Amino acid sequence: MLGTLAQMGAGFLNALTPINLLMMAGGVAMGIIIGCMPGLSAAMGVALMLPMTFKMAPETGLIVLGAIYCGAIFGGSISAILIHTPGTPASAATAIEGYQMTLRGHAGKALFTACYASFWGGLLSCISLYFFAPLLSQLTLKFMSAEYFWLSIFGLTIIAGVSSKSIVKGLMSGALGLLISTIGLDPITGVKRFMPSSYFAEGINTTCALIGLFSMSQVFVLAEAKIKQRARATKFTDKMSLTREERRLIRPTIFRSWIIGNLIGILPGAGASIACFLGYNTSRQFSKHKDQFGKGSIEGVAGSEAANNAVTGGSLIPTLTLGIPGESVTAVLMGGLVIQGLTPGPELFGKYAPMTYTFFAGFVLVQFFMLGIGLLGCRGFAQISRLSDAILIPCVTVLCFVGSYAIHKNIMDMVVMLVFGVLGYAMRKFDLNTAAVVLALILGPIGEKGLRNALRTSNGNISVLFSSVVCWVLIALCIVGILSPIFMAKMEKKAEKDAVAGTEEDIEKLTEEDSV
Amino acid sequence: MKMKKTDIGVVAFFYLVSAYFYSQTVKLPASSQTYPRFTVALVFGLTTLYLIQMIVRAVKNGTESVTADFKDFQARQFIFCFCATIVYLVLIHFFGFYIATAIFMVAVLLFLRVPLIATAISVVVILALIYFAFQKFLGVRLPVGEVIKALK
Repeated sequence: MLGTLAQMGAGFLNALTPINLLMMAGGVAMGIIIGCMPGLSAAMGVALMLPMTFKMAPETGLIVLGAIYCGAIFGGSISAILIHTPGTPASAATAIEGYQMTLRGHAGKALFTACYASFWGGLLSCISLYFFAPLLSQLTLKFMSAEYFWLSIFGLTIIAGVSSKSIVKGLMSGALGLLISTIGLDPITGVKRFMPSSYFAEGINTTCALIGLFSMSQVFVLAEAKIKQRARATKFTDKMSLTREERRLIRPTIFRSWIIGNLIGILPGAGASIACFLGYNTSRQFSKHKDQFGKGSIEGVAGSEAANNAVTGGSLIPTLTLGIPGESVTAVLMGGLVIQGLTPGPELFGKYAPMTYTFFAGFVLVQFFMLGIGLLGCRGFAQISRLSDAILIPCVTVLCFVGSYAIHKNIMDMVVMLVFGVLGYAMRKFDLNTAAVVLALILGPIGEKGLRNALRTSNGNISVLFSSVVCWVLIALCIVGILSPIFMAKMEKKAEKDAVAGTEEDIEKLTEEDSV
Repeated sequence: MKMKKTDIGVVAFFYLVSAYFYSQTVKLPASSQTYPRFTVALVFGLTTLYLIQMIVRAVKNGTESVTADFKDFQARQFIFCFCATIVYLVLIHFFGFYIATAIFMVAVLLFLRVPLIATAISVVVILALIYFAFQKFLGVRLPVGEVIKALK
């Protein structure tokens, strides 16, 4: 216990070095910029910045990626509030009340509420990260080869189902990723497998695949749509602050949304977009000022923003402990972890504990940077959110190319990135799941080693895969993983429906009262 | 829910990929075949499952045209950007990163009707960002280009 506390303290000391602080500020600012631009996503931003972290110390690199993640989730609320276009899906619910506040001349107040609630949501989520992550990581100590095989399958079933319209298509994407992960030298016998050239000896470069699937494919998505002039962000003159009573009013909302967001984050398969609607709905249910909903309620903004930022810390728990990212952004983050030569699980809290606790401390400090930069730079970020897709298309393309080249300084990496960009675009177009491919590329080798070692030790007897309780628990979780998207989709639809219906009801009631 | 006609292409692609990988897998030594066979079987099985779903949908609800997936698709713009990206890669190989980037950005920005001043600013900002972030900060030596190398 004392040892853990000492490591936590040391983590803070390490995180407070000038380079880490500088990277936190830069990462948060970059994240907010990416988040507030409606054409760009958090996963894309993290993927694009991944090569920049290669030469950094692992903890600094992870802090930068975490900062971009948190910044992007918050950044989405700026365009949601000012131009009624959520920068990321995680801010869709914020747009409902936030934009109403803007129309009524309270944009500053809405932005302050979003920033303040995001800060508390993110900060409180770190508590669960500190407490649950080390505990859960101990569970993996019981894992043998067979269990690792099932764990990789479980990770795939979760991510394959979550962001696909069709579960089968999601699973197909994951299976395709597994197939692609077999390219390269056989990890046990060293035999060449499916290699057109020696360049592929170490397999497909995961970072290039990540950049291609998330960032380059987004360029093609932007290129196929009509370039539209974005709405001018409303210039606001009201003060960016809340009164003491208003802060007291949103306190319980933030607390409730933290719990919701955190649970949603820990649950593999659910993400910030579900959390924001659930947070918003709960804030309305418990509010003493229901009449304000639909007219611009600060509780609505706080409920949605605290919930989506509370997801960040929660979602890191299954990612760092079991190696199961619940959504695209954490899948990319896990890619960053693996690329640094680290494996999720107990090692992170044993051998690499100083690095892990520095990252955790950095994640706490990032929330403070988010608050400061968010409040100070809101007006500037609002202007950036207007940047046309016509400018973004070539700029992001160039960054994709230079990013993929920077890793091994090989032009072939650019070719691989472009191929995955085309694949990613086609996959998005035809409702396949790019996150599942990425995760399969990461989990594939782990699963392969698990399966082959298990079979080798049992002389090819397949029953070894069903020989322990943990195996059966993981098989059961795989089934739950396959079925969970059905419930998640229902939950999201219901929350979304309730949010819209509730707001309309409130408006009707108010109109009736006004006419009386 | 109707069956999407574009899914025929998706299914065909997955069958082709699994067929290719299977044909290569059987050439491997027996000890290296287990896992690739497992993944090929997985892709094949899931694709067949989806094919069955598609047939059921087509029989029950009919089909959805290919155009539904390409509504508001800006063909000219997309093709230009796509081709420009490929040309960009070739230009990097021959003329190096900075020259290729400047040509690529100016061409795409002007095609997308970005005003001249904004085009100039974008190119300068991106080139400066890459120079300072990648070349100076990360120490990445960006490609010089075969032509430039030969001229030197």
